Amino acid sequence: MSGPLRATLRLVGAVALVAAIIFVYYRIIPANNLTVGLTLVLAILGIATWWGFTESIAAAIAGTLGLNYFFLPPVGEFTISDPENWVALAVFLVTAVTASELSVRARQRAAEAIARSQEVERLYALGQTLLLSGSVRSAARDIVNSIIRTFEIPGAVLFNQLTDEFFRSDGRGLISDEQLRHVAETGEPLNDAGRRIAIVPIRLGGQCTGSLGFVGSSLSAAALNALAYLVAIGIERARTIEETNKAEAARQSEVLKATLLDALAHDLKTPLTSIKGAVTHLLANPHDAEELELLTIANEEADRLNRLVVEVLEMARIEASKLHPDRAPHNIMDIIQATLKAQEESLKERVIKLRVPESLPVADVDFEFIEQVLKQLLDNAVNYSPPGAPLTISAQAEGERIIVNVADEGKGIPVDEQSKIFDKFYRGRAWREKVLGTGLGLSIAKGIVEAHGGKIWVTSAPGKGSVFSFAVPMFKGELVS
Amino acid sequence: MSSKILVVDDEPQIRRMMRTTLTSSGYQVDEAKTGEEALEKLRSYQPDLVLLDLNMPGMGGLEACRAMREGSDVPIVILTVRNAEKEKVEALDAGADDYVSKPFSMQELMARIRAALRRTPGAAEVGPHGFASEDLEIDFAGRRVRVKDKSVRLTPKEFDLLRHLVAHGGKPVPHRELLQAVWGPDYGDETDYLRVFINHLRKKIEPDPSRPKYVLTEPWVGYRFAMPEDS
Repeated sequence: MSGPLRATLRLVGAVALVAAIIFVYYRIIPANNLTVGLTLVLAILGIATWWGFTESIAAAIAGTLGLNYFFLPPVGEFTISDPENWVALAVFLVTAVTASELSVRARQRAAEAIARSQEVERLYALGQTLLLSGSVRSAARDIVNSIIRTFEIPGAVLFNQLTDEFFRSDGRGLISDEQLRHVAETGEPLNDAGRRIAIVPIRLGGQCTGSLGFVGSSLSAAALNALAYLVAIGIERARTIEETNKAEAARQSEVLKATLLDALAHDLKTPLTSIKGAVTHLLANPHDAEELELLTIANEEADRLNRLVVEVLEMARIEASKLHPDRAPHNIMDIIQATLKAQEESLKERVIKLRVPESLPVADVDFEFIEQVLKQLLDNAVNYSPPGAPLTISAQAEGERIIVNVADEGKGIPVDEQSKIFDKFYRGRAWREKVLGTGLGLSIAKGIVEAHGGKIWVTSAPGKGSVFSFAVPMFKGELVS
Repeated sequence: MSSKILVVDDEPQIRRMMRTTLTSSGYQVDEAKTGEEALEKLRSYQPDLVLLDLNMPGMGGLEACRAMREGSDVPIVILTVRNAEKEKVEALDAGADDYVSKPFSMQELMARIRAALRRTPGAAEVGPHGFASEDLEIDFAGRRVRVKDKSVRLTPKEFDLLRHLVAHGGKPVPHRELLQAVWGPDYGDETDYLRVFINHLRKKIEPDPSRPKYVLTEPWVGYRFAMPEDS
């Protein structure tokens, strides 16, 4: 039924009800004027409550006319002889109108209260949806969808300023990206009642994190703000969960990698232990020169295999970013001395020149790791320079770094090879046959230095020897003796 | 009589190799596959030395080492594939006397075995026969130590370390000298061993181990035993 027709029918109905009451009291049940008047007031009150103000006013006018014509003397005329009855009629009219008005107002309040409670219920439902969403992206999509569903509006759009993403569900482009951006940047809500669109900023802890747009919304300003706040919390919650999950996943995969590497180290070194033990035992008492030669080869190769295992695992650790230097203030000179001591055997035919200033600041490094780097550079220098040629170890401070150099007087490295020697498994062309190695030593040294936030490089000219250098950070804290 | 060695390792091939090489070097050998079995054999076999693997299923080597230390002074040498400084200190802290990383040459292992089995000879004769103060009593000949009238058990290495320090009567003993006197001539750079063993000693004999009054650190030099003036 269409609106105007219904309104007309209600008007007719209201007047008809009044007419029916007057007919009953006039023709069927005789009653005094007071009873008729009160009955009519009751009916008008009912009409006001259920139908509305216009209908009740129509009923009140009809009732006044009817009361005057049929019951107030002189009966059958629209005139009143007794002034008292004028007063009674006036009281009736005022009472009917006032009651109607009050009743209508009460009805409106009730309707508003219902609307508000619906809004609250919807916000609550939305809140629940948000709490169940997983990632930020799916949360944003869920928010837009559930706003449309819960508030029964044709379109909504969410702008996440942190990721600069738009989640739309209006399909008609009533709200532009620029408008959403503007609201998110200024924090000023936009309300275009004419086009029935509203955009509110999404705030968390005073900071704008995006904006939320509605198409065809009839939500109160308070509800819009509550909604925006709810959305802000929902997105923040999803973001926190996402980050926690990421961190946990990363931690678990780190633990897994470390465990795998440890297990691998164990499984590779265990058979080597049996081989090495057996061979070295026999080597202590060989029967003849032939046996000595063969056992020596077996022993050397067992050592080489072990070095390879250690280096490959170390490389794997570096590549899995599992290398965590235990950094502390250390004197570079102490590390150099320790390395020279450990390498005594391979360095015994070499003259080592040390050029380390007394005043060299303390380095912020892992002692064992830097010792390993130095050992690698010394090994290299020994392997790739003629026997007996002197080696020079020097160190100097430069800015906030300490630079350590190991120089040999070998043949040097061709320019085209200089960039490759730090690559995994790369072995110098001229030396592949002569020097036994894995081709991992320098890339491990590089990994270690880089794990300290430093860098490693080589300067070399063919025929003039090579200088391997690395830079590590200086210790900047307070030294406690 | 030859010394008895208990080899504890879960890897059968390593046990086979060790049994053959150690036997041919003149030792008596028994084996255990797990930490639990090692504890059992420690009682039944009464070895003079235990070679203990760290990485074993069930009761690991570290735990087994601690458990053995609770009831025995037997020298324990840890054999392990790991060789990080941290692991080494952990093993020594658990009561091990020495630490060898796998793979090792038999010559190296034999040297370690000899060092672990040796008792510093003659030190008792050249040094004092004992030491006594109000709360500490050391009897070198009987290898006994009493703290506040309670008997304290030291491992042989701990005892030798203490004896060597006391024998120097208040003078500082350099790291290298201590290591060579107690562990043997092949040692000298293992200052971390000393750090751990000195800590053990302090825990056992000092009234307040965090502020030692007997076993003192001489920075950059070594350690010294402080003789109370009135003793």
